[in-house]
Amino acid sequence: MKSILTAAAVALGLAQPLAAQDFPTGPVTIIVPYSPSGNTDVFTRHLAPYLEEKWGQPIVIDNRPGGGSMVGTAIVAQAEPDGHTLLVTTSAFVTAPAIQTSLPFDSREAFAPVANVGHVSYVLVTNGDSGFDTLEDFIAQSKDAPKFAATAGLGTTTHFAIEKFIADSGADVDVVHFKGGGPAVVSILSKETDIYGSSISSAGENLKTGKVKALAVLGNERIDALPDVPSTAELGFPDLEIKQWVGMFAPAGTDPAIVAKINADVNEALQTPEFVATVTPLDWTLFQSTPEGFAQQVDEELTKWKALAVSQGISK
Amino acid sequence: MDFFSNIGLGFSVALSLTNIFYCFLGALLGTLVGVIPGLGVLAAISMLFPLTFHLEPTTALIMLAGIWYGTTYGGSTASILLNLPGTPANAVTCLDGYPMAKQGRGGVALFMTTVASFFGASFGIILLTLFTPIIAEYALQFGSAEYFALMLMGLVAASTISEGSAIKGLAMVVLGIIIGLVGMDTQSATVRFSFGILGLLEGVSLIALAMGVFGVAEIIMSVRRVKTADIDPESLKLKAIKPSRDEMRRSWFPMLRGSSMGSFFGTLPGTGPSIAAFLSYAIEKRISRTPERFGKGAIEGIMAPEAANNAADQTAFIPTLSLGVPGSATMALMLGVLMIHGVAPGPNLISSQPELFWGLIMSFWVGNLILLLLNIPLIGVWVRMLTIPYHILFPAVLAFICIGAFTSGFSPLNVWMVFAFGVLGYLMRIFHFPGAPLLLGFVLGPLMEEHFRRAMVLSRGDFMTFFERPISATIMALTGLVLIWGVVSAERSRKRQLLSEGEVDHTPEATDRPT
Repeated sequence: MKSILTAAAVALGLAQPLAAQDFPTGPVTIIVPYSPSGNTDVFTRHLAPYLEEKWGQPIVIDNRPGGGSMVGTAIVAQAEPDGHTLLVTTSAFVTAPAIQTSLPFDSREAFAPVANVGHVSYVLVTNGDSGFDTLEDFIAQSKDAPKFAATAGLGTTTHFAIEKFIADSGADVDVVHFKGGGPAVVSILSKETDIYGSSISSAGENLKTGKVKALAVLGNERIDALPDVPSTAELGFPDLEIKQWVGMFAPAGTDPAIVAKINADVNEALQTPEFVATVTPLDWTLFQSTPEGFAQQVDEELTKWKALAVSQGISK
Repeated sequence: MDFFSNIGLGFSVALSLTNIFYCFLGALLGTLVGVIPGLGVLAAISMLFPLTFHLEPTTALIMLAGIWYGTTYGGSTASILLNLPGTPANAVTCLDGYPMAKQGRGGVALFMTTVASFFGASFGIILLTLFTPIIAEYALQFGSAEYFALMLMGLVAASTISEGSAIKGLAMVVLGIIIGLVGMDTQSATVRFSFGILGLLEGVSLIALAMGVFGVAEIIMSVRRVKTADIDPESLKLKAIKPSRDEMRRSWFPMLRGSSMGSFFGTLPGTGPSIAAFLSYAIEKRISRTPERFGKGAIEGIMAPEAANNAADQTAFIPTLSLGVPGSATMALMLGVLMIHGVAPGPNLISSQPELFWGLIMSFWVGNLILLLLNIPLIGVWVRMLTIPYHILFPAVLAFICIGAFTSGFSPLNVWMVFAFGVLGYLMRIFHFPGAPLLLGFVLGPLMEEHFRRAMVLSRGDFMTFFERPISATIMALTGLVLIWGVVSAERSRKRQLLSEGEVDHTPEATDRPT
């Protein structure tokens, strides 16, 4: 009897706890599954004030690092689906599950993708004094004496970028994992490793001073920050379009109208000139996305990275 | 010059109002905790560091470092007045400090140890300023094999050199490593020993472990042991604390020798302020022309160790900040604080976060100056601290621990873990298992594993990499020597013990009869 009443109430739209136009009714928590002061955290902290102003509610940014971003991600998977707990994470959302097979949630089922906010490009870098000046040199030399590639951690986008590069180029490279981009760059500086797919901000000063040199930009086009560095597409690798994107997710079951509203508000914030001016120097390319488009991208990438993990033998 | 601009940068950070305030707060809390016997620096830092979560990492470190060297200042107070060391590093100060207090010269002893502490600390800070950047330069020659070797040496040294049984020390290191294994493995993403608890995916909380093993356990132990003090206020009046000219004259060289000894032992893994204090006391006694005065209130006997332990407090930061390799349990905790605040310690720290590095070091001047100014007029207040009834103090501290553990991850799981580690820590105390090696193993174990496996990948599976790379080979050889020395000296002291027991057997009346 009760369930019939509930069903009727739902049908009449009476039981709907809050309408999208009322959202949010309280403080919104954004979980960032990375440490404070990292790329993603800084981006989110820049974005939050614009949403606070729009929503008239405070936003709490909660850093929950660990498990290659999967700890914070799992917390959102289990959160109340009312739009008041959101996740801002990186493309690790689609790469990490290819390796971590015992996650307590299903990446496809547990989330409602909200918006893809933008990406940073990866640059293949090597030590300034290394014996190779071009990517062709590197690939050729690796076949004589195997080389080492650094990553910012198992299952991170930098890891998959290198694996994809190895798979496509046939270079003879062993992968070494570091904890974060900082130690990975140090390993390039100390010549412990030979190549690393770095973001511009990780390589930072070392690129300018020449201690580290860039061999190629991963992707189809050159980037403004390094106009003289060729893209991998130019060098004959058309499938290396790999970027570290940042996206926002809500728990699955969130009212699609609320998802659409958050998406619209985020897109609006991303177009604010002051916001663009703050993040552009950090090498961000911003996007306008739809929830449906982002959901499709996430779905495709989950499949793609899982397949790569299996073919490269890095998945359990 | 670059060097001076760095110093300037450091002072501009350290002298901001916020940082001065937190430096003051840290030094004050440190002194307070140091004065109270039974609450050590590890307990203090692990209890107070949730407070720093909302601070900038630089400010947080400035405050925690203030606690660290503040306890050593405060620790001498209880040593001198109660014959109970406030911290292990002050234990040796009891030997001559307490006799001085009994002779009515407690005020002089407190004043002079503050001076010695400041002198030793200044010496240490200067070395820290000069050498840390140089070591960081060379750190690029350190690969995974070298880091592994260095950490192995740290663990071996920590477990064999520290006081007590080497076997028990080693056992605690291994237990620490095992607890450190909990959570997701960084090289294969395999989840280990988490029993399906999501909160354990990122491992056991450092805060819960430290608060339990050091905070809770120390309190349970102290409840049964510590007594409230009974002190003659007359000897502590301001005019009673002025040392004689002869005492001043005799203090200079012990302070200098103590500072150099302390600076050296502070940088070595496994030694730290306690060992530095003991050794410098031993040296003063050996080179003194009147060794019979020691143990009866010789001023040299408090100046050298107090200068040594404070110098060691400062130089302990050299390996931690330049290489990211902590030499002691407290430094391991500092490293953990850095990582929790998202700062990657290592050779890049100085160049990537100059304001953090130089700001922290320059704050040491601020903090030590505060301590100097704080301690001399406030000696009377600290002494009164010793008279707070423990049935008020301990429950308050316990409540504080629970709040801190909860807020460190907003998870009740942490509070349960504090409880479990408190029980473990108490059992360890009862059976005389040391806690510091446990914490060091816990922090260094996972780092060592990471470096070991990375070194293995880089050498393509050849174990000889640790012995073929020159720096790594040297460290490995030193590790072997430390281990042999530990075994030999343990054997020798066992023999000596047997021998003296034998003597006692022959002359039982000599020890039993009161003289």
